[in-house]
This record gives sequence, structure tokens and C-alpha cells, in this order.
Amino acid sequence: MTILLSPLAAAAGIIVHPSVEGRSISIVSLRNIYTLRQTLWPNHQPIVIFVLPDDHPVHEAFAKEKLGLYPYRLRQTWDRLSFSGMASAPIEVKDENEMQARVRATPGAIGYTSKDTGHDGIKILRLE
Amino acid sequence: MTASRFSGWNKLLLSGLLVASSAWADHLADSRYHIQGFAAQGLIGSTNNQFFGDSRDTVSADFTEAGLHGSWQPLDALRLSGQILYRRAGESDQDGVRLDYVQADWQFYQTEVTRLGLKLGKVKLPYGLYNETRDVPFTRPGILLPQSVYVDNSRDLLLAAPGVFLHGASAQKYGATDFMLGWVRPDFDSESVDYSFLGNVRPGRLKGKGTLGARLRWDTPTDTTLMLTYADAKADYTPGSIDALAAGTMQFRNLLATVQQRFDTVTLTAEYGEPRLDLRGFGALPDTHRVIQAAYLQGEWRFHPAWELMLRHDLFHRDKHDKSGRRFEAATGLPAHGMFARDWTLGLRWDATPSLMLRAEYHRVNGTGWLPGPDNPDFLSREQRWNMWLLQAAYRF
Repeated sequence: MTILLSPLAAAAGIIVHPSVEGRSISIVSLRNIYTLRQTLWPNHQPIVIFVLPDDHPVHEAFAKEKLGLYPYRLRQTWDRLSFSGMASAPIEVKDENEMQARVRATPGAIGYTSKDTGHDGIKILRLE
Repeated sequence: MTASRFSGWNKLLLSGLLVASSAWADHLADSRYHIQGFAAQGLIGSTNNQFFGDSRDTVSADFTEAGLHGSWQPLDALRLSGQILYRRAGESDQDGVRLDYVQADWQFYQTEVTRLGLKLGKVKLPYGLYNETRDVPFTRPGILLPQSVYVDNSRDLLLAAPGVFLHGASAQKYGATDFMLGWVRPDFDSESVDYSFLGNVRPGRLKGKGTLGARLRWDTPTDTTLMLTYADAKADYTPGSIDALAAGTMQFRNLLATVQQRFDTVTLTAEYGEPRLDLRGFGALPDTHRVIQAAYLQGEWRFHPAWELMLRHDLFHRDKHDKSGRRFEAATGLPAHGMFARDWTLGLRWDATPSLMLRAEYHRVNGTGWLPGPDNPDFLSREQRWNMWLLQAAYRF
């Protein structure tokens, strides 16, 4: 069902704040984080989740390719949990520059970009 | 609800929201604060019966929803949240602005994938898939929720209530499980609840007693959700000064089963319950034990990233042992079609932008079992077969 995806979107890379331990993350763990089921890193640091807007091509690619979920399903889950007071929805940023800046500045942060290249003060996690 | 009763809560919540919104304005956008909201306006037209205002053979604009939601996490383990709601729905809901809920959630045990918490305050009640966010248009499968299970007629009972819930969640190899177990005191004191359970608006007052509520949810790795919700509520009736009814007791018990299967772009959902209603000692109303039947089957198809089609069949029997209503008609002289409702619904959703949603919906209904009483006060002029269309525009921020 590729009609739901923008064909030009590049594969997204997972980025975290340098305080996050480890070099890789499992698909199951990534999905648990983005569906708000896992709220702590293994060292018990709270996870702070950043996302791009629902209709951003990089968000669409990340949701479908890395999480196996369409953006609208993620939004349903976030709405259900946040409007009932059970969890916080991810923090939405407007573009990839802001995504990198916020992840760099926020301990415990996780986000994604279209490029799998490193930047100062940001760590890339390999997906296993 | 009276204004004075909640003014203290209102002040507390408002000050919380103000602190939070100033933080928002400063572009701190701290992960510990979050403010969101929505506003929606509906248009309704119907044949033969009224729904949410003057809709018969004309158009009612008397369906408005708006909400402001705030949450604040002063500590990692503590989350305060609440929602102020504005709602108007024909004659059935003219309360305007109200405090929807305000709760404190203390997650006293947390590991990577397991949580245990205690939430208290005026808390959202877990009931089926959609109840906790039933007033947020974006979270519903249609403009209206399936009326069999989510009865807008007695929504006051289901919304939120003062009480406490123990809750837990765990994500494991076999999927994610969570549970809620709590004690609340729900609000029975509304005209619509009188209509649903006592047949008409009554001069006296139904006062809720302690209610047990529980929900178990299991999300399997195959994108299946299985859920059971249980509620056991009691209320005492205090007659008015001139009242045909005596000081009776009402009990309402329900076990609701939920199944949802999510495929790539298709979602299939079914919920089924047989609520039991017992009335005792009301004098003019005979003692009754009634088994209600409520069920629906629903399919949603996201055929384009921004478009969704929904088809639903919704079934409601006020008495499982008198589905046609004939025995009720013979005993009371009131129309049999008040005892059931079968509703075919076709809906279309368009997410025009991430913050603007437009919806259209058509209902073909046989029966008046969940027809809003306050909009249709004359039982004898209600008609068995009726249709309804709705349009809704909803904005979020």
C-alpha cells in the first residue's frame, strides 16, 4: 500500500541526545517509545520524544518504514493517551533543523532526520 | 452540575493552564507542559424525529463542541491534567462550559516498559474504546459514537467522576497489557439520565453511590486489541415534593467486550455489552430487572492519507427479552419502537490539514431506542423509521 507514502522521502535516521546510552535500538523498543508505552531509557532517564508534522514526508517515511505504522494511527494513539491525561503526546517541531536543535538540547531526547549523517552533539542509533 | 460546586476546581485548573500557556508563549515548549485544544461545529438534518435541536425537515446547528486540555508534569512520576469543555447538543445538553475532568496521576513504580500508578481527582472513566476522549472529535470513528454502547442519553454517567483508579501497563513480547481498577461516584443527576432509566424527567433526584470500575486491555503483536470493561453502579432516588415515585434504588451493571483488528489501512471494530438494570422500590414504577443489549460492528478504511470511509451497523435493545417491544407496548400503550434501534451509518472523513478535519455522515435508523428524550418529549409523536445526515468541521491546536 504505497499510495499512502510520498515516494521521494528518504529513509530516516534515528537521533538521540548524547546522554542516551548504547549504540543501537530494537524495532520493538522504537515502536514502544513512539506509541508511548516505553517512557524510560534503560538507565531510567525519562524519554522525550520529538516528531515532525503529520504530513511531513520525513515523518511519513519514519512512521511507515521504521515503525510500520501510518501517521494517522500514531496520531490516534497520541490523542487517546494525551486527551485522557495518561501520557504526553510527542513534542512537534516544524522542520529538521529544529528537530536537530531540540534533540541536541534536551537530555533523554529521541528524534529522526532524513540523513543518516552525524552532527555535533547528536548521537545516531542503529536500528537492529 | 452547579457552578459553585466546581468553582474551586475551576480556579485550580485555570491557574494551572495559565502557568502552562505562558510557558508555551515563551517558546520554552518545555516537555513538562502541554496545552492542546479543539473546536467543532456540526449541522444536522433529519426526517420524522428530532436529533440535537430542531433538525426535522430543516437544519439544526445546535451541536457545538470545544475543549482546552492542559497537562503538567512537575515531577517525573507526577502528572496533573485536566480539560475544560464547552458542549451544546440540542435540548439534551445546554450546560455550556464545564470542567470535564481534572486529575493527578502518580506513577509510583516505573521501569523501562512497566508502570504502576494511582490517579485521583475528577477522573476520566474507562469504558470501551472511545469513552475517555468521546468529546474530542478527532478521536471518534464518526461524528456520532455508536449510540448503543456510548449512549449520549446517559453520557453524564460515563464521562468523569470523583474517585480513584489504580492502573498499570506493561509492554512485553506477547504484546502490551494494561489495567485500570477504581472506585468512583458517578453523576446520575441529569434530565437525560432520568429519561434513560426512569422513563421521563422526574422531580426527585438520583444520587450516585460508590461504583466499581475495571478495564483490562491487551494489544497483541498482531495489531489486535482485546478489552473488557466492567462497571457496577448504584443510585438512590430522593422523591421531589410532588412525585409519583417513591424512594427507590437503581443498580446498573455492565460488562463490555471490545475487539479491534487493525490491518494496513483497514480497521475493524466490534463492541458488545449486556447492561443489567434493576429498579426497586420506586412505587409507581414496578420493580424491574432488565437486560439491555448493545452492540456494533464497524469498518474504517483509510483509502488515502487524508481520507477515510466508515461503515457501521449499530444495534440496541432496551430489553433483550422483548426485542420487538411488543410486550412493552401491550403493557404500557407506548410505541414498541421505543424499545429498540438499528442504525446503519456511512461516514466520510477528510483531514484537510493536520489541524482541520471535515466529516459527513448518514444514518438510516429503525427504532427510537436511543432517540434523545429532551429533543422529542412527546412519546406518541416519535416515528419508528427516520434518517439523519450530519456535517462537522473540527479544528485543533
